[in-house]
Amino acid sequence: MSVASARTARVPRMTGWLGATVSTDHKRMGLTLGVCSLFFFLLGGVFALLMRTQLAQPDMQFVSDNSYNQLFSMHGSTMIYLFVTPMAIALALYLVPLQIGAVGLSAARLALAGLWTWLCGGLVMQQGWFASGGAGRDGWSSYAPLSNGTNTPGVGQDLWVIGVILAAAGMTVIAACVLATVARRRAPGMSLLRMPVFTWTALVSVLMVVSAFPILVFAMVLLYIDRHGGHIYTGFAGAIDYQDLFWFFGHPVVYVMFFPYLGAAAETIAVCSNKRWFGYIPFVASIMAFAALSMAVWSHHMYVTGGVTNQYFAFTSTLLLVPAGIEYFDAVATLIGGSIVLRTSMLFALAFFIQFLIGGLSGIFVASPVLDYQAYGTYIVVAHFHYTLFAGSIFGFFAGVYHWFPKFTGALLRESLGKLQLVLMVIGTNLTFFPMFFLGNDGMPRRISRYPTHPGWGTLNLLESVGAGVIALGVLIFLVNVVVSLRRRVVAGDDPWLGHTLEWATSSPPPPLNFERPLPPIRSYAPLLDPRQEGSTAEARGAR
Amino acid sequence: MWSWSQLRVVQALVSTRGEYDRLFSIYVPLAIGVFLVIVVAMIGAVIVFRRRPVERAARWHEHNRLEGAYALLLACVAAFLLYLTFTTEHRVDTVADRERPALIVDVTASKWEWTFTYPAYGFSVHSGAVGRQPMVVPAGEAVRFDLTSADVIHSFWIPALRYKHDAIPGSTQVFTLVFSRGVFPGQCAEFCGLRHADMIFTAHAVAPSAFAAWARSRGRGPRP
Repeated sequence: MSVASARTARVPRMTGWLGATVSTDHKRMGLTLGVCSLFFFLLGGVFALLMRTQLAQPDMQFVSDNSYNQLFSMHGSTMIYLFVTPMAIALALYLVPLQIGAVGLSAARLALAGLWTWLCGGLVMQQGWFASGGAGRDGWSSYAPLSNGTNTPGVGQDLWVIGVILAAAGMTVIAACVLATVARRRAPGMSLLRMPVFTWTALVSVLMVVSAFPILVFAMVLLYIDRHGGHIYTGFAGAIDYQDLFWFFGHPVVYVMFFPYLGAAAETIAVCSNKRWFGYIPFVASIMAFAALSMAVWSHHMYVTGGVTNQYFAFTSTLLLVPAGIEYFDAVATLIGGSIVLRTSMLFALAFFIQFLIGGLSGIFVASPVLDYQAYGTYIVVAHFHYTLFAGSIFGFFAGVYHWFPKFTGALLRESLGKLQLVLMVIGTNLTFFPMFFLGNDGMPRRISRYPTHPGWGTLNLLESVGAGVIALGVLIFLVNVVVSLRRRVVAGDDPWLGHTLEWATSSPPPPLNFERPLPPIRSYAPLLDPRQEGSTAEARGAR
Repeated sequence: MWSWSQLRVVQALVSTRGEYDRLFSIYVPLAIGVFLVIVVAMIGAVIVFRRRPVERAARWHEHNRLEGAYALLLACVAAFLLYLTFTTEHRVDTVADRERPALIVDVTASKWEWTFTYPAYGFSVHSGAVGRQPMVVPAGEAVRFDLTSADVIHSFWIPALRYKHDAIPGSTQVFTLVFSRGVFPGQCAEFCGLRHADMIFTAHAVAPSAFAAWARSRGRGPRP
């Protein structure tokens, strides 16, 4: 106890802007990272709306070809490097120490440095908009040799490369700190196989970040040298090498952008069903298998290059349906027999599982080389990954936000606004992304700034553009909800939902050292559910 | 009446579209079926177990043997899909090895133009941001494409044939396609810079005799 009070004395309470910028409290860092990511989400969303305006009708020239190329490149880059991935890490940064009963983060000052490195990367990347010739314009993957100094000269693309290096390096550092925290700072009794489901998903994510992101940094440093006369990615081998290096990062990151949101949706479903998450051990095994396989599927992005062994990557990619199937089995089995409360968070979690399924099943489709000979580089692929990333991860993110917002702020979000947001987003998402499957199969390639008049294309594209507007309205409702809920606070209390995990055993928001009361005994992955179930068992016996 | 020689020809001339459609007709209904089963299970569970008192929530939370059996079932599904994919891909990818082509077309992709060269006849046609000449091929015969790029990565895609292949500088990629009679739009499917959207072409597949007439009118006539 004296140790804890001595520690408390050494931690100055930093609030406001000072706290947001220099605090090494993992909760402050998590919130800063999350709020900055959310800002980039809105920015990337504006890029998407501009693109959808251009594509609303055939042969439109709302923006120039060059501007359109910058918009789609920066939309993808902003969403992946600056929103979905860092937001996943932000959730882990905030929640993992709480869920494992730690008083703080390991190497917290290093994590703070990582946070600022990442933010600098994001700002550097966006500065490309002010460069002559414009921002990065070779897509979020910037294939060589298109992205070399001859084919894409200019400062904008250089800033893109430097931005990616800084953002990826920063996220790697933060992820390493989360990994160290899981390894070293678990509370007494919190064995690895008693860690909550969300913590497990966060753990495999940071493992993948630490293993895969340095490869991206390496590839981008080489690209920078190549752009300035280095002749690195030359000829056929150079082009293939770039893609191998890029996708060795680029596929694991897909799962980094998925797992923590899966964990958020899983925790939400378990808590809102008032039932323990089903099949804990198979679930942990399946996400470990998922993570291992995800490091071995990268070249399924390269089936049409003639430079890889398609069968091997088709094999590993198709095998992903096994762990994915286990996750769905667990989700359904958690619902069965529960006592289900349909809160906004629960509805978002259910929408996550149902809509992600379209992304997952279309993923098995494009895992087949013969089917990918058609789907590659078309709107089929665009539909597929937006169903996983937007219809999946973003809905999981909102499930997590509605679930944990009371913990982050001490205030509840408005349920009515939340349900309105959900309805708008479900309609908008499917209106925007479902027609893309048909457009792609009918011959519309991705990344084209204009398309000719073609039977049906105008109508489907117009539907998609309307859908994008509906999504934007949903996001606007969310922002209104946050502002209203913070201005006119409905006090949440420590544990508004009858939570299962340790973050609900402390105040909302938690104190600087996370827990002021003694931790409850940790005997399973749902330590707060154990005493309730024991209590009611005793009551039931007594009544009998 | 068919003969063995006809059967050999039918087997050899693999239609990329036919192979795609066959695989599609297994993958997609299966996916829709799985989607419906899971959605019904989820929504059904939500409806049945909604608003029960918290004390009635079940305590059971694992059944590892059941999940193990389910994983085995999933592995069998994966094996089934991979068997279909591997056999189909083998047929599509090995046409060039088995089939003596009736025509060879050298395709060079560059920013933002396709150049189709007919080496046997000694002439080229252009299509893309500037050119608008169709690529003419004989229908019902194997046409071999030797594909390369002069600058960045492009991708040769004919949506109606359900086939594309990357054109990568520093390499020549070889594949064989069989066209049915008709006009097929094609375009670049790998982002290649400013005017990527304009990198389009059309393939006109005509009767072999009409093709021969067209080619002779353009070029020197077939060299032996």
